[in-house]
Amino acid sequence: MAVKLAVEGVGKDFLIPVLDRVSFTVEAGEFLCLLGPNGCGKTTLLRIIGGLEPATRGRVLLDGQPVVADRRHDRKVGVVFQEDRLLPWLSLRQNVALVLKPLGLSAREREAAATRHLRVAGLAGFEDYYPSRVSGGMRQRAAIARALSVEPDVLLMDEPFGALDAQNRRIMQNEVRRIWRETGRTILFVTHSIEEAVAIGTTLAMLSARPARIREMIKNDGRVERAKLIDDLNTLIMEEVERQQGGAK
Amino acid sequence: MSARRWAARLHVPTLAVAALVFAGWTLLSWRYGAYVLPSPWAVARGFVDILLSGEIWKHTGASLYRIAVGFGGAVGVAVLLGLAAFLSRVARDIVRDALAVLNATSVFVWIVISIIWFGLSNWAPIFTTFMITLPVVAANIVEGVENVDRRLLEMGDVYRLNGREKFVAIVIPSTLPYLVAGMKVGFGLALKVSVVAEIFGVTSGIGYIMNYSREILATQMVFVWALVMILVMMATDKLVFDAVSRRVARWR
Ligand SMILES: Nc1ncnc2c1ncn2[C@@H]1O[C@H](COP(=O)(O)OP(=O)(O)O)[C@@H](O)[C@H]1O
Ligand SMILES: [Mg+2]
Repeated sequence: MAVKLAVEGVGKDFLIPVLDRVSFTVEAGEFLCLLGPNGCGKTTLLRIIGGLEPATRGRVLLDGQPVVADRRHDRKVGVVFQEDRLLPWLSLRQNVALVLKPLGLSAREREAAATRHLRVAGLAGFEDYYPSRVSGGMRQRAAIARALSVEPDVLLMDEPFGALDAQNRRIMQNEVRRIWRETGRTILFVTHSIEEAVAIGTTLAMLSARPARIREMIKNDGRVERAKLIDDLNTLIMEEVERQQGGAK
Repeated sequence: MSARRWAARLHVPTLAVAALVFAGWTLLSWRYGAYVLPSPWAVARGFVDILLSGEIWKHTGASLYRIAVGFGGAVGVAVLLGLAAFLSRVARDIVRDALAVLNATSVFVWIVISIIWFGLSNWAPIFTTFMITLPVVAANIVEGVENVDRRLLEMGDVYRLNGREKFVAIVIPSTLPYLVAGMKVGFGLALKVSVVAEIFGVTSGIGYIMNYSREILATQMVFVWALVMILVMMATDKLVFDAVSRRVARWR
């Protein structure tokens, strides 16, 4: 398979070094879950990959092209943030149609595409609702529909279900998994829940304590039993959490 | 049940107090005479008179015209200042400081200066209204511009929206409620201020006619025009600004 995304020695210093040197590659159509202790730099790494933040060291290649943090980029990435980031004054359909403007579609085509992607996300019938009139889970679905509507080369998701209750979380995990199978998109999914990662990812990448590196890359192809995988990852993450707290002293 | 609802609507306690005030007012006007305090009935009659003669429209119209020009100009300039504040940090700081200075300037300063600059003309109350309402409206818009959610703008960057698209889709809708709130306060201020400015040098408008009524010892007409002012204020608040605020917040 083709390498879609290459992260090469990416590091980031804020006041403290957050990311040391992170390297990994993602193949086209892969569903990679990025795990790690809270505050280890998962969001920062995702923002660098999405071109929202410049890296201090290293580089990111998307389809072989370096990702530059610049507003006038021409990449097609979809980002689902922890918050839905829908425009509250636009209907769900208008929210999706808005991001199709730079693709040069006519108003009618944008509406049709928005309706189609909302249907895929399970929001048929709610196209004309304002975000405030639907549940948090539905808003997150709309954000996912918006991210998919630009037919992104890579879909970045940063703990997108963090604000949902356990039941809605499960439903949304299944939905994302289904959408991934149906669309074949390359997905990078950040979570701090090991159960979530094991339930939906094809590859699991565990970051170490700050300053973060890749601690483990694990194929989640069913060869290792799930319960054992969860156990192992739990042991790993506890080690890293302790190291991070120790380092903070 | 519905009687109680009507009672709530009509603010019965307020009405009761109003009735007491009217009673006291009538008594006091008997005691001190119509020059000091005309009776409620004399005021009511005066109101009907100007309504029938059409004088009410002449002066209210003149005042509203000056407010429309002065306040409208202030809103226009405030929008431009808000735009500048959005486009540049430096401009934002300058605008903020300038507004703080304007805010600290008394109405009377502008009235005197405008008489010096524009003489006894329409432009004196217009200019005064402009200078007084500008900082109120502009401060609101600038605050709105500052409160635009950065995370939404970042979302716009992710999906490659250009500056114009972000401005139309994100900045304008999030600033609109601030603009409406600023205009509501600004209009109230405009009405109060322009009337004061009309005391000097013009021969029409609510402020002029109130002062004129005082000079010819027609105290009841002073009260009548005060009543007209109150009605204009309440009507625009209820009919215009409440409706616009609701429309702007439709999506909430
Ligand atoms: N813009 C920033 N400026 C300074 N420090 C930051 C910034 N963004 C993140 N950090 C710091 O970087 C570290 C990692 O943050 P983050 O990437 O959000 O972690 P995670 O998503 O893994 O919880 C934290 O210590 C955080 O305080
Ligand atoms: Mg995070």
